[in-house]
Amino acid sequence: MTLDPERDLEITRTIKAPRSAVWAAWTNPASFEQWWVPAPALCKVETMDVRPGGALITRISEGGSPFGPHLSACYLEIDPGKRIVFTNALVGGYRPAEQPFMTAIITLDDHDLGTAYRALVMHRNPDDQKMHRDLGFYDGWGTVAAQLAALVEN
Amino acid sequence: MAQYQHHLDGIFQALADPTRRAVIGRLGRGPASVGELAQPFDMALPSFMKHIHLLEETGLIRTRKSGRVRTCEIDKARFAAVDGWLGEQRAIWEGRTDRLEQFAIAATNKELKS
Repeated sequence: MTLDPERDLEITRTIKAPRSAVWAAWTNPASFEQWWVPAPALCKVETMDVRPGGALITRISEGGSPFGPHLSACYLEIDPGKRIVFTNALVGGYRPAEQPFMTAIITLDDHDLGTAYRALVMHRNPDDQKMHRDLGFYDGWGTVAAQLAALVEN
Repeated sequence: MAQYQHHLDGIFQALADPTRRAVIGRLGRGPASVGELAQPFDMALPSFMKHIHLLEETGLIRTRKSGRVRTCEIDKARFAAVDGWLGEQRAIWEGRTDRLEQFAIAATNKELKS
């Protein structure tokens, strides 16, 4: 899959655990809940129907608030142990979603140290960024910059 | 991709410094002269100029000189194309990958011990 630097993100990592463990973390709801959102927020898997057309629905609770919507997506491809493709442009059963935003391709390959992990996240268009800016991106800039800096400093 | 990584590295490096973050924060409200930007900082002008130059090299800001006054402004295109929204998405997915990694390693270790 070709990466478009204006719209896509690619995260690659060597994970020192076998592919089966990474796969389980992605496909077992109880495991998935433990890493999908940053602590102290809590994640609840509402539906995880791991098959093409199946729904992936998660809910999130931040600061002790009631669980609210987080992700509502549809699996497109499942190659057990190797590859997961899902999008929130569709909901379960391939029904079009209200607000398409991204498609993610998760790839697992064997590596000497465990698993070569790759997440490619494709977004609709750079205009989404403009919308974000119009929604006050520059006002929130200090916060975003600090978060980015914290990311590199760690 | 290499080109893009280069941009990101530069941008993250530029933003890792509090003085430069403050300059960007101020310029987010509109263009300003170097003198105006330097005012809040207890720093010699040459030191401050180094920060300005780095921001300019990274492409985060543009400067233009008119007479004796150098005016700086944010290069919105750079932010628009590479950073803002995309950086936020990246942070989400990087964090997620960090946590997935920790979880998978912990689960594997637990299995090995039992």
